[in-house]
Amino acid sequence: MLDRDADIVIIGSGAGGGTAANALAPLCRDGARTVVLEEGPKFREDEFTGREVEMAKRLYVDEGGFLTEDRAMTIAFGRAYGGSTVVYTGTSLTVTEPTVRRWGVPGLSHEDILRRSQKYLEENHVHLLTPADINDNNRLFEEGCRRLGYRVAQFPLNLRGCRGAGLCNLGCPNGAKMGTHRVQLPEAERQGVAVVTNCRVDRIEERAVVATVTERGFGERSAWAPGEYRIRAKAIVVAGGAIGSPALLLRSALAARLPALGRYLTCHPALILVAQHERPITNYHGHPKSYYCDHFADSDGFLLESCMYFPFTTAKSLTGFGAEHSRMMSAMDRLQMILVLAIDPAEAENRVMADAQGRPVVRYAIADGVRRSLVAAMRASARVFFAAGATRVHAPASSRFFIEAADADRVDERIPFDGLTLGKVTISSAHPMGGCRMGATPADSVTDAWGQVHGLPWLFVADASLFPRCAEINPYVTIMALADRVAERVRREWPHLRANAS
Amino acid sequence: MTQRQLLVSLAGRIVPESASMAGSPRAQMLSLIDEALAARPPVMRRQFGLFLIVLRWAPLLRYLRPLDRLDPRRQDAALRWFQDCPIQAVRSGFWGVRTLIFIGYYGRPDVGRDLAYVPAADGNAVLHARSRR
Repeated sequence: MLDRDADIVIIGSGAGGGTAANALAPLCRDGARTVVLEEGPKFREDEFTGREVEMAKRLYVDEGGFLTEDRAMTIAFGRAYGGSTVVYTGTSLTVTEPTVRRWGVPGLSHEDILRRSQKYLEENHVHLLTPADINDNNRLFEEGCRRLGYRVAQFPLNLRGCRGAGLCNLGCPNGAKMGTHRVQLPEAERQGVAVVTNCRVDRIEERAVVATVTERGFGERSAWAPGEYRIRAKAIVVAGGAIGSPALLLRSALAARLPALGRYLTCHPALILVAQHERPITNYHGHPKSYYCDHFADSDGFLLESCMYFPFTTAKSLTGFGAEHSRMMSAMDRLQMILVLAIDPAEAENRVMADAQGRPVVRYAIADGVRRSLVAAMRASARVFFAAGATRVHAPASSRFFIEAADADRVDERIPFDGLTLGKVTISSAHPMGGCRMGATPADSVTDAWGQVHGLPWLFVADASLFPRCAEINPYVTIMALADRVAERVRREWPHLRANAS
Repeated sequence: MTQRQLLVSLAGRIVPESASMAGSPRAQMLSLIDEALAARPPVMRRQFGLFLIVLRWAPLLRYLRPLDRLDPRRQDAALRWFQDCPIQAVRSGFWGVRTLIFIGYYGRPDVGRDLAYVPAADGNAVLHARSRR
C-alpha cells in the first residue's frame, strides 16, 4: 500500500464534492494540500457519444439501474469527474421555506440556504430558455397544464452554449451544462486542488482514507498510478452521494456510534408517462426538460416535469410487451413524455446498508401514501396529455396499454389505485437523499447542522445524504448550498483541525 | 435449449421485430444482453439463470408443454401471467428478463432510425428550422 499525505481529502466530485473543493480551494494559498478522490473517470470531450447504453455503462453505477433490495425500484446516480452533475438536466430550483421548516434542523435556516443557492445560480449561469429553444414536447406540457388550470413554471437551467442535443442524461456532447465538471472543479484545480479520478475509497480510518486507483480503459488517465493508497488527512469531507456516502461510513465501522447512519433515505420515486400524438412533434431536438408543475405538491404529494428519454429508457418505462409496445416505440417522434415524482416521507426503515463486500444495498419500501401520490400523478398527467391534444396515453398503472382520447373523461377509472403493481411497473429514482441526515443528536442524525459527523471533529459530510427529508424539488442547487455551508465550517475550523492533527 | 436460445425465443415475443433479426443486428442485441448480464453480481446472474428455467418450464403445469413449444398466443398468455403474478419476486424476475431484452434491442446504436428517433448535436438548429416552416 502506498502512503500519501494530504491536509483535506474530499471524497466525490459531484454537486457536493465539487462545490466543497472549490469553496475550500482558498486554503491552498495557505499551504493546505487538498485532494478530491473521485471514483469515476474524467471524460474527454469526444467521449460523450450520446449512445445510450454505452454512455449509461460508463457514466452511471449499474448503468443507471441500481436495484433496490426488493427490486421494485431502480436508482440512477453518476460516477465521473463532476459526479451526477455530468448527467442531470441542469434544472436549477431552490428549496422552499416550508420544506426547510419541515426539515426541522436546529441552526439551519431557509435564509442561509437561499443566500448560498443564489450564489450558485449566478456561478452556474442559470437562466430561462427563450421561447425559440422550447420544443413541442415541452410546450405541449405547459399548454396542457394551463388549460387545466394547473400551476406550471419554466425550469431555470444552468446552460452555456446549449445546442439542444437533448442528450443531457448521457453527458452533454456540447459541453453546455454547467455542472461541477465545468465550473467548480476546474476553478478548484486552478487554485491548487488535486483531483484524482478512477479512485474508489474503500474505507475511512482515523484521519485517513484507504482508496484504490484503477484504470477503466476510457476517460483521462488518473493522476495517480493504479494501486492501493492510504491518504492521511487532517480533515475528510465525504461527498459520495446519498448511496455512496452512507455505504462508505458503514464500511468504515461507524454504525455503532451513529445509529441513524444509512437511515431516512428518501428518493422522489418516479414514473415516466408517454402519450402519442397524431403527427410528429419536436421532442428529442432541444432541451428535454423545460417546465414543471408543482400544483399538487402540497395537496397530493407529487410533481410533474416535462421530459424526453432515449429508446431503451422509454421502452423500459412502458408497462407490457409485444405488438402494442412495439407500435408505440416505432414512432418516437410522436411521443410526449411526463416524469412524475412523488414526495416521499423520511422513514427510518428506508435505508442504505452495506453487504459483506461493503457494496451498498438499498432497502426501500414504497409507502402506501407514495403509491397514492404516483397514481394521482398518473391521472393528472393523462389529463395534461389529453388537454394538449394527445390521441392516446400510456400510463404504467392503467388496466389497458392505451387510454384513448375518447376515454379522456374516464381517466380515474382507467388508472385504478390498485394498478400500481410493484415489480411490474418501472419505478425509478434519480434523486436519492438522506442517509447521513443533519440534526441535533446522534440518536436521530449523523451530522450536525454544519455537516460535521457527531463526535468526529475531523469528519464531514457534504452531499444529498445530509437531507433530513426529501427536497421536494430537483435537489442539486440545495446540495451545493449545503456543501458550501460545510466548507465554511471546515474553513472556520481549519486552524484547530490542523493543530489537533499535528 | 441453451439460455441464449431461450432469450432469443423470448425476445421475439417481447419485441416482435427482433424475431426477424439476423446477422449483425442480432449479434449486437445478444452482445448487449451478455454485457448487461456480465455487469451484474454473480448472485444476480445465478438468480436470472434460475428464473429463465422457471419461465421455460412453469407453463408445463397449465399447457403440458414448456414455454418455447407453445404457440405464440399461449406464449404471450404465459408471459402475461408472469408479468401479473401475485408474487412480487416473480413479477420482478419477468421485469428483469423484459428489461434485458429491451436493452439488447433498443440499446443498439443504430436502432433510432427504425424508431424515428435521430438526435443531432445541434438539435436547436433542427428545431428552429422546423418552426420556420
